[in-house]
Amino acid sequence: MDFFYNILNGFQITFQPTNILYCFIGVFIGTLIGVLPGIGPSGTISILLPATFSLSPVSSIILLAGIYYGAMYGGSTTSILVNVPGEAASVVTCLDGYQMARQGRAGPALGIAAFGSFIAGTFSVIVLMFVSVPLAKFALVFGPPEYTSLIVLGITILAYLAQKSLVKALMTASFGFLLSFVGLDTITGKARYTFGIPDLMDGVGVLPVVMGLFGVAEVLQNLDIPEGISVFKTRLGNLVPNQKDWKDSWKPITRGSILGFIIGIIPGGSAVLASFVSYATEKRCSKHPERFGRGAIEGVAGPESANNSAFGGGLVPLFGLGIPSSVVTALLFAALMIHGVQPGPFLISEHPEVFWGLVASMYLGNILLLIINLPLIGLWVKVLKIPQWLLLPLILLFCIIGAYAINNSLFDVGVMMLFGIIGYLMNKFGYEAAPLALAFVLGPIFEKSMRQSLRLSGGDFSIFITRPLSAVLLVMAGLVLLSYFFFKKQRGVLEGGGEAV
Amino acid sequence: MRGSHSEAIGGIFWGGVGIFFALGAVKLKLGTFHSPGPGFIPLGTALLLILLSLFTFAKGLIRPTRQTGEIPWKRPALVIGAVFLYGLLITVLGFLPSTFILMVILFSLLIAFRKRKWLCVILCAAATALGAWLVFSVFLRVPFP
Repeated sequence: MDFFYNILNGFQITFQPTNILYCFIGVFIGTLIGVLPGIGPSGTISILLPATFSLSPVSSIILLAGIYYGAMYGGSTTSILVNVPGEAASVVTCLDGYQMARQGRAGPALGIAAFGSFIAGTFSVIVLMFVSVPLAKFALVFGPPEYTSLIVLGITILAYLAQKSLVKALMTASFGFLLSFVGLDTITGKARYTFGIPDLMDGVGVLPVVMGLFGVAEVLQNLDIPEGISVFKTRLGNLVPNQKDWKDSWKPITRGSILGFIIGIIPGGSAVLASFVSYATEKRCSKHPERFGRGAIEGVAGPESANNSAFGGGLVPLFGLGIPSSVVTALLFAALMIHGVQPGPFLISEHPEVFWGLVASMYLGNILLLIINLPLIGLWVKVLKIPQWLLLPLILLFCIIGAYAINNSLFDVGVMMLFGIIGYLMNKFGYEAAPLALAFVLGPIFEKSMRQSLRLSGGDFSIFITRPLSAVLLVMAGLVLLSYFFFKKQRGVLEGGGEAV
Repeated sequence: MRGSHSEAIGGIFWGGVGIFFALGAVKLKLGTFHSPGPGFIPLGTALLLILLSLFTFAKGLIRPTRQTGEIPWKRPALVIGAVFLYGLLITVLGFLPSTFILMVILFSLLIAFRKRKWLCVILCAAATALGAWLVFSVFLRVPFP
C-alpha cells in the first residue's frame, strides 16, 4: 500500500551515504553537547541551523533532529557520572543515576539509560509513523479559528510549565509575538516597526534571535562556572545491565515510552516535562518508593525513556498540523521554512521525502546512538575534561560566524549579541526564554489566523467559541490557567522538590 | 536598588516595551474588527503585555522578593565588548588577525590568573583562527567582510 511505499522510500533516502553521514554527525554532536554541561540541544540546533543552508531540506532535518535525540542520550552520561545534568531533561537522572554510580553500579545505570532511550526512541518513531498521516488528514478540519486557539493553548501550557512564574512567561511570550510583528506585514505590505532600517524589512531574523537567546546567553551564563569537573572515578565495568535490572526496568521503560510520547504531543509539552512526570509516576507505581533517590534503577529507566519518546511525540503536531509545540520543534519548524518547505498538514503529501526520510533516519539514529553511547563511553568521559576556557570562546566564535553567514550581515551578529544579553538578563531575573522563542516562531501564523478568523466572522469574536473544536481548545487553555491559580500550593511543593536536586 | 525591587523594575521595563509597541501599532492602520489592519494584533498583544507588566509591578511593590544577589556583569560585559570590537576590527583587518585577537581576549578572560599559560593561549588562539579560516572560508566558502 501507499504506506509501505513511503516508508521504503524513506529508508532509501536515509541510506544514501551522505545522509547516513549527516545522521551520524547529528547524533554524534548531539551526544557531545548532551554530555557537556552548559550547552544544550536548543542552543546547538540554533547555532548549527545556518550551517545546514547548503544541504537539502531532508539532510538538514536529519542532522538537526539527530542533535536533539542524541543529546537525550548524552545527557544521561554526565548525570550518572558527575551528578551534573548535561541538559535539562537529564536532571532527574541525576537523582538515582548518580547514586547508582556511587554504589559502583555506574555501568548498569548507563546501560539501562542507553537501552531505555533506544527502546523508547524506536517506539516513538513507530507511533509517529502511524499517527502522522491520519492526523494530517484530520488537520484539514482545522480552520483559522482552530489554529488561533491551538496556539493560545500551546503558549498557555508552555507558560504554565515555566519554572518561575506564569505571568512572567506570558510576558515573555507577548514580547515574542511583538518581535515577530517587526517587518513587512504580509497581508497589507506595510512596514511595521522598521524605523527605516533596511535590515529589518524582513523582520528580526529568527536565527539570530534564537542563537542569541539560547547559544550566546548560555555561554554568558557559563562564564562563571568554576572550572574542572570531577568525574566520578569508578571502574565502569560491565555496561550491560543484569537480569534483575531488566526485570525491574521493563515496566518503567514501557510506561516512560508511552507517557513521554503523549506528553510530547501535547502543545507545550517537552522532554524535560516528560522526564519529571515519568520519575513521579515511577515513584508512585513502585512498591518501595523509599528506594528512589538512593539508586533505584527505575528512576533512571523511566525518565530516560520518556525524554527520548517525547521527541517523537513532539514531531506529531509539527508534521501533522504544521504547528510546533515546543522550543525544539519550533527550531525545526524554522529550519523547514528556511529551506522553503512549508510546514503544515500538506507537508507530508507535498514533501513526503522530508517526513519519511526523517522517520527512517530516526530508526538509524537510535541504532547509531546505542553504538556510540555504550562502547564509546570512555571517549565521552574524556570529553568532560575539556576546559571551559577553551570551549566557551570556541562556541562563541562559532555563533558569530554562523550568525554572519546567514545573510553576510554583521547586523545579524549584532541582533544575536543583543538577544544574548537579553537572554542572559532574562535568566537572571526569572524570565523564561522558551515562551519567547515559541511565540516568536508562531507569531506570523497566529496573526494570520486571527485576522482570517475575524474576517470570516465579520468581526465577531465569538467565532472562537462557537466553533466546537476551537472552543474545546480554548476551554483547555482556560483550565490550565485556572489550575495554575488554584493549585499554587502544590506547585510550590513541586518547585521545592525540584530545587532540592 | 536591586534585590527587593527587581520585580517592580521588571514591571516598569516590560511596561515600557509594551507602550513602545502599542504606540507603534496605533500609528499603523488599526482597521476594524471586521477587517483587521496591520496594527490590530500588535496593539492587542502590546496591551496584554502592559497589563501583565502592571501586575508584575504591583506585585513587586507589595511583596518584595528575596535578595537576588548581585548579577555578575563584569565578565559578560567584557565578552560582549570584545565581540563588538571584533565586529569593528574585522572590516579593517580582515578575518584572520581579528579572529586571532578575539580568541586571545576571550581565552585570557576565562583562564584566570595562570600567567604561565600565555604561550598556550597564543597557540590556541592562532590554531583556532587558522582552523576557523580553513573550515569556513575554504571548505564552506563563506564570504567574509
